[in-house]
Amino acid sequence: MSVFLLIVVLLVLGIAGYVLGRGRALSSVGGNPRKLHSLPGYYGWHGAILAILPALVALTMWVIAQPLIIERQLADFFPAEQIENDSQRVLLLTDVRRVAQGLDTAVAAGALTEEQAAMIRTEFGSVRDRLATVGVALGSEVTPQVLQAAQRYRELAATGGLWRMIVTLAIALGGLAWAVRTTNGDLRARNRVEVVILGLLILASTIAILTTIGIVLSMLSETIRFSTMYPFADFLFGLTWQPTFQGNSELGLIPLLWGTLYISLVSMIVAVPIGLFTAIYLAEYATPRVRSIVKPLIEVIAGIPTVVFGLFALVTVGPFLRDWFAAPTGLGTSGSSVMTAGIVIGILNIPFISSLADDIINAVPQSLRDGSYGLGATKSETIRQVVLPAALPGIVGAILLAASRAIGETMIVTMGAGAAAKLDLNPFEAMTTITVKIVSQLTGDTEFNSPETLVAFALGMTLFVITLGLNIFALWVVRKYREQYE
Amino acid sequence: MDDLRIVERSVDTQGFKITARGVQVYYGEKHALKDVDCDILDKTVTAFIGPSGCGKSTFLRCLNRMNDTVSIARVQGEIRLDGEDIYDKRVDPVQLRAKVGMVFQKPNPFPKSIYDNVAYGPKIHGLTRSKSELDGIVEASLKKAALWNEVKDRLGEPGTGLSGGQQQRLCIARAVATHPEVLLMDEPCSALDPIATAQVEELIDELRSNFSVVIVTHSMQQAARVSQKTAFFHLGNLVEYGETGQIFTNPKDPRTESYISGRIG
Ligand SMILES: Nc1ncnc2c1ncn2[C@@H]1O[C@H](COP(=O)(O)OP(=O)(O)OP(=O)(O)O)[C@@H](O)[C@H]1O
Ligand SMILES: [Mg+2]
Repeated sequence: MSVFLLIVVLLVLGIAGYVLGRGRALSSVGGNPRKLHSLPGYYGWHGAILAILPALVALTMWVIAQPLIIERQLADFFPAEQIENDSQRVLLLTDVRRVAQGLDTAVAAGALTEEQAAMIRTEFGSVRDRLATVGVALGSEVTPQVLQAAQRYRELAATGGLWRMIVTLAIALGGLAWAVRTTNGDLRARNRVEVVILGLLILASTIAILTTIGIVLSMLSETIRFSTMYPFADFLFGLTWQPTFQGNSELGLIPLLWGTLYISLVSMIVAVPIGLFTAIYLAEYATPRVRSIVKPLIEVIAGIPTVVFGLFALVTVGPFLRDWFAAPTGLGTSGSSVMTAGIVIGILNIPFISSLADDIINAVPQSLRDGSYGLGATKSETIRQVVLPAALPGIVGAILLAASRAIGETMIVTMGAGAAAKLDLNPFEAMTTITVKIVSQLTGDTEFNSPETLVAFALGMTLFVITLGLNIFALWVVRKYREQYE
Repeated sequence: MDDLRIVERSVDTQGFKITARGVQVYYGEKHALKDVDCDILDKTVTAFIGPSGCGKSTFLRCLNRMNDTVSIARVQGEIRLDGEDIYDKRVDPVQLRAKVGMVFQKPNPFPKSIYDNVAYGPKIHGLTRSKSELDGIVEASLKKAALWNEVKDRLGEPGTGLSGGQQQRLCIARAVATHPEVLLMDEPCSALDPIATAQVEELIDELRSNFSVVIVTHSMQQAARVSQKTAFFHLGNLVEYGETGQIFTNPKDPRTESYISGRIG
């Protein structure tokens, strides 16, 4: 039975558990739900959970463990020197799995009987050719060991699958029976169900945390590898970014960091005031009609892919800034510049800030505004002194979210600011950012064994640290200025 | 008899702070206040009583145009403060509210420190010239609201961290600090213990020497204790308005009589 089918069966058993648990609880009190400890539905869920959950856990563990155990067994087919190296072993096992799958396909297509598949030997003809007739292409001729291992693999997988089904169904039926046996009017079904729900919630929240930790660890290990090949202090404090693929590159972070922060700064100078003023207008001044038209219109901007913004930067904003500001003032001659990318990223972030801030301002209770008006405050006094302070933590959060978006933005920078790593104060000069360089270091030849490619991970790590720092700073600001209402 | 009435009126007009004529309030389709006439005397405490939902708060909110902030509310009729129509186009509701202060039914301290809550009004109206003067107003207002002793050591803490009753007194202090001419209080004592209630009632009595105070209350005893005039509202109508003593001892309308004796409500 395939895993998918097993899960379907489990679901059916779960439904049975629900019906049985609920029915059993009701019948134990003579059909009077008031005598039950919990609402009848909880007894149903109790039955369903006992039928599904333990079996599902067992199934998951089995699915994870079975390949590991089988692979260990298959190791016996190969001489030790063939599998001592990790990548060799992985390759061999991949071969084995492919051949096994090929045999499966052949059996399914009727080209081989189940027995023939188990008995077939390399000595009697080319297995590769046989499999090719049913559409399974193998890169090289199958060696006797691989074939035997594949046959063993199929045997083990078949027994494993059989036991998997037996064990899972036994546990599910056991859980179901146990639920039915223990269900009576006094069973605290609600408490039990709530414990399971709590567990699910905790599980969900840890997944995000574990993923983050995983990402950090994987980047960290590559970063450490990078630091063994290239002096880390030179990376952190180097003022030149000049990778060459023949070695002796200079991989200084500072120009990229400078470009990133400079462009983000420009974008925030554009986005924060405009976004905030928009939000204040929408939340406090606009009539419901205006609001219902303007808000969705602004939010349309958020839906435009950043590459389109990049085009806008490339063909409109860049040339405009060059011809009207940079060239007349003699500040620069290139359309790609910090200003171009910064302004366009800023525009991208306006709806982000305005939409979030608008929701936050709306969440400030009306009673606070009334209190202020009742004391003879004007609308603007009320907004400045009561509404905005009350909304401040949320607004800071929105701004920092926009800042991390600006720092992580890649496409617009590539198209609007260029790819030249430079340390310059002139905002009409082309510069580039960390994200752009991560992409350019990884495109093309991606063997992760030279400092020129591994530096991408160190750059990623830097980006992570910056955004983390930003978030910690945000938390600190919010704590410090928290003004609770309600 | 008729002559007598005219004489009485001309004397009283001198002391009228607010005169309301034919006030109607609609919330959307709902007719919440029906044709209310009411004169509020200067240097007097006027109590509004009546069953829940009868329109006491609504009428109170008309007196300082707080209903302007409710988008679905429509107010008709004429309300004059010192003879000036407050719903006239030339009147700025902001200035009106500086003169007619309000304490709300639900405590709504700002998410600021206790000090800043009380200093809010004086600051925005520029009532003080120096920090020490402001400190003085804050202290005096908190004392009037019977809160000073409880908060004098923690003026920097957030006003929202106080208990419900303390928050209500903070809101009273906040309203008193702006020195309004009329103070509207919507059930100011509903969250207070008897001691604080007595202190607030004392405050109301004290305020009477300079301002007129309008208080909404569900406590007959309180109305009888603090007010000189009482208005009884029922289902959006101002049923009876008169001397407090007369309303409580000798009500003219049968509805007033049954409300006071606890039969409707
Ligand atoms: N913002 C509003 N929107 C719609 N209807 C409202 C609003 N405020 C009050 N009302 C309605 O107007 C009527 C009078 O309300 P009001 O708040 O004046 O009563 P009240 O006498 O103060 O009652 P309570 O003693 O319970 O405070 C009620 O029927 C209420 O439902
Ligand atoms: Mg009310």
